[in-house]
Amino acid sequence: MSFFAQIITWINVPMNGLGKFLLAPIGVLPGWLSNTIISAVVGLVLLIIFKYTSNQRAIGMVRDNIKANMLALKLFKDSISVTLGAQGRVFRGAGLLLLHAIRPMLVMIVPVSLLLAQLGLWYQSRPLLPGERTIVTMKLNSNVDSPWPRVSIKSIPGAQVMIGPVRAFNEREICWKIKADNAGRHHIVFQVDQQQIEKELAIGDGFMRVSAERPGWQWSDIMLHPLEKPFGPDSVVQSISINYPDRLSKTSGTDWWLVYFFVASLVFALIFKPFLRVRI
Amino acid sequence: MLASQRSKKLKFLLPAVFFVLLLPSQAQAYIGPGAGFAVVGSFLVMFTAVLSGVLALFTWPIRYTIRAIRGRRAFARSRVKKFVVLGLDGMDYALTEKFLAEGKLPNLAKLRDEGSFKPLATTIPSVSPVAWSSFQTGSNPGKHNIFDFLTRDKQNYRPRLSSVDIRGPRRKIGLGKYQLPLGKADIHLLRKGKPFWKTLGEHGIFSNVIRVPITFPPEKFYGVQLSGMCVPDLRGTQGMFSFYTTRTSDNDERTGGENYRVTREDDTIKAKLIGSENPFRTDNSILKIPFVVTIKDQSSADIKINGASYKLKKDVYTEWIKVDFKAAPCIKVHGICKFLLLSTTPEFELYVTPVNIDPEKPAMPIAYPAVYSTYLAKRQGPFATLGLAEDSWALNEKVLIDEGFIQQCINMDQEREKMFFDSLDKVKRGLCVCVFDGTDRIQHTFWRYIDEQHPARQQREQDQQRNPIEELYLRMDVLVGKTLAKCKDKDTVLMIISDHGFNTFRYGVDLNRWLEENGYLKVKDGLRDEKYLATVDWSQTRAFAIGLTGIFLNVKGRESQGIVGPGAEAAQLREEIAAKLTKLIDPDRGQPAVKQVYNALKVYRGPYKGEAPDLIVGYNRGYRASWETAIGQVTDKIFHDNTKAWSGDHCIDHTLVPGVLFCNRHIKTEKPRLMDIGPTALDMFGVEVPKYMDGKPLTVADAGGSKIKQQAES
Repeated sequence: MSFFAQIITWINVPMNGLGKFLLAPIGVLPGWLSNTIISAVVGLVLLIIFKYTSNQRAIGMVRDNIKANMLALKLFKDSISVTLGAQGRVFRGAGLLLLHAIRPMLVMIVPVSLLLAQLGLWYQSRPLLPGERTIVTMKLNSNVDSPWPRVSIKSIPGAQVMIGPVRAFNEREICWKIKADNAGRHHIVFQVDQQQIEKELAIGDGFMRVSAERPGWQWSDIMLHPLEKPFGPDSVVQSISINYPDRLSKTSGTDWWLVYFFVASLVFALIFKPFLRVRI
Repeated sequence: MLASQRSKKLKFLLPAVFFVLLLPSQAQAYIGPGAGFAVVGSFLVMFTAVLSGVLALFTWPIRYTIRAIRGRRAFARSRVKKFVVLGLDGMDYALTEKFLAEGKLPNLAKLRDEGSFKPLATTIPSVSPVAWSSFQTGSNPGKHNIFDFLTRDKQNYRPRLSSVDIRGPRRKIGLGKYQLPLGKADIHLLRKGKPFWKTLGEHGIFSNVIRVPITFPPEKFYGVQLSGMCVPDLRGTQGMFSFYTTRTSDNDERTGGENYRVTREDDTIKAKLIGSENPFRTDNSILKIPFVVTIKDQSSADIKINGASYKLKKDVYTEWIKVDFKAAPCIKVHGICKFLLLSTTPEFELYVTPVNIDPEKPAMPIAYPAVYSTYLAKRQGPFATLGLAEDSWALNEKVLIDEGFIQQCINMDQEREKMFFDSLDKVKRGLCVCVFDGTDRIQHTFWRYIDEQHPARQQREQDQQRNPIEELYLRMDVLVGKTLAKCKDKDTVLMIISDHGFNTFRYGVDLNRWLEENGYLKVKDGLRDEKYLATVDWSQTRAFAIGLTGIFLNVKGRESQGIVGPGAEAAQLREEIAAKLTKLIDPDRGQPAVKQVYNALKVYRGPYKGEAPDLIVGYNRGYRASWETAIGQVTDKIFHDNTKAWSGDHCIDHTLVPGVLFCNRHIKTEKPRLMDIGPTALDMFGVEVPKYMDGKPLTVADAGGSKIKQQAES
């Protein structure tokens, strides 16, 4: 798994660069519009990928077979044996369709996951508004025998510490309550024993790339939180997260953006399907 | 080998599934539109299937009760569960008997030995539209109104299809250069009477009817049906092939097809595939699809059409290729066709089959319910829908060589076999009928191989050892073997029938010339050889011929320019012509050309006998109406050598071309007739035979009757 973590860490570097450049319009467009445009483009691109990575002929045959059996249900509805047989074949066809989707899915899942992570930076949370308060949590490694480090916030430009540090011994977490003051992209600097570590803090209005967590050496966390460099496997600090507020929107708000993206990209792919002659 | 491939697939799939499951939860929620489609699609498929299944299961008792109430009497008295009719169009009794005697047809021999084999009397005249109409209605032509492929238009004397009338929608809304037809085209079946499967349906008995001639447009009944002979191609004709060539020729005119001269630029040929008239354009312009052929080498090329590319290999048919003609914005007319690359050098030659109606998205009703053809297309892929699907015109015109035509027939029989066997699997109780046409087309076109005196025999190009007709009968025997294997149930009756037999067609008789020579028909001075009776002087013509079977009188009040009195004068004229024509002798060979001439008013009964040709000509062996007579030409001699590939025929006296009847049960009736089959099916299912039917139920032994037969014979 360490291998995967390293690979994804490397991949995140160019992806962050690309994401910053290609997804920059999100910062200036209304959320519904940017998510719709991205869904349309992604739907089209992934449809093309699906076309060339799947066995179109086999999918076509399965689809035709399913349709034939569905029609058999209608045409020979008075024959119970035909009805049951046709249903069995429809189920088998549905299963085969899923099997045929595995190959394109494998090809697409990594780039799509990386893309979603980049989109998540924009849509999953909103930055803090000046004056707004939130919690910053530092998670230490899970070794209960290791001594607690000396931890403090050395500097926090654009914000101020209201309460903390507060230690939760069972969870091996240290928390601070902070208050946002000035808009901008800032870096909180922590002093952990002799070491200085940083966590990005986003304060402002509208759409900004928001990194809710600087992850530890877990490949799935690194994939979902790509913006900041992960902590190494031997680091006493496993992650630092900021509890950003939810973005309230059915098209580009917390969690809903993903649903909207899924439905919209599906719809756009459906629209493009006949023009690209893709069987799915 | 297969197991190892499966194991390899599993080795790939299992880790793949495992990997997907390991991925983060957010990514699991979304797996891309493509894969997402598959998931959503599969779910929808399963949901719909479960829903329809639940509905089917829950409503089944209700439907069963309704059917039981409607059909109990029929099934309660039924002597069979399933009645299967396999129609082999044109299978000849004498040839079958010969091949049986030679031990070449083991499956048919088994049927003969365990059940029955008898000659099956055909209709007057012995042509497929007439015969199959009598089969389905159980009545003589006077009651079903089909007397030939063609009949004459009483107004203008031009020939027209006897079985169907197709007219476009009457009302249209103009939108600039486009027009929007209001309503559907009026497609009207001219065959009258009621098919016996409709009667079965009224008694709750399900039928699956495939490709029976003269069932276009399909009629509503309890069952499913795919139409056969007389279904047009996309252009509305009975089959118009296309031939693209760089060869220059003085005469580009072809019968049943069209020549398109193309030019070759380097290795590229650009041309257009021709479709129907565009019903959405006010100028009714012709629909066309451009295509490009790129020649690769002497035996291969690529063709690009409708944005897709296909490989062409010399002398090998492509699969059915879907061709979509753009009729108007967002409106397409769907067809299918096959391409056959005949030559690349020195001249380019490309044959294209007639553009068939796409069964998946039919432009005209070719099935009942309409989705039945879609079901078949989805199940087995595209298939020929044209009534006369085997393109014998292309062979006649020497565009196709013998081998190419035989392959076409075999391909189509294979398509038919798939749908027939599916019907046998699907229908557990009821009627299955399927007609195979290849038997008819191959005998028509290859009789010259078995008739040493045939005028077309000298033109044989293929090796002399081959006998396509014998090969055909052997293939049909294999088909019968497979069918028998699917009809093992003792409560299944299997009948193998043909609508007529076959014989040689050496010489054509120009009936119009004979009528002219005998003073019944007058050709306008200085004119001859025009088609569709255009040269006939109607003011002095008492009788004329068109089509393959008969002579019409030019009767006052019936024909637009009639001169013969309808009563005694017409009757006397009928007798006179019949008597004279029966004595017609071929002077070159010294043999009678006509066996018998039938007076329609005497041989037919029923409300439509007045629509029949006044006289039906029963030709002797070797003779038939000439090609010119069929299309209303008047030549300068009566007898013509038939040098076309179309060398066998059945449009002769009906007594000379009986069909066959095989049954897996013993049949006692001495002289079964084609029109008895429908009543027999009704009788076997315990349904009373309607009084209008002329056919009588055959005496068929009950299950085990064949043993009784053997005991009796031993």
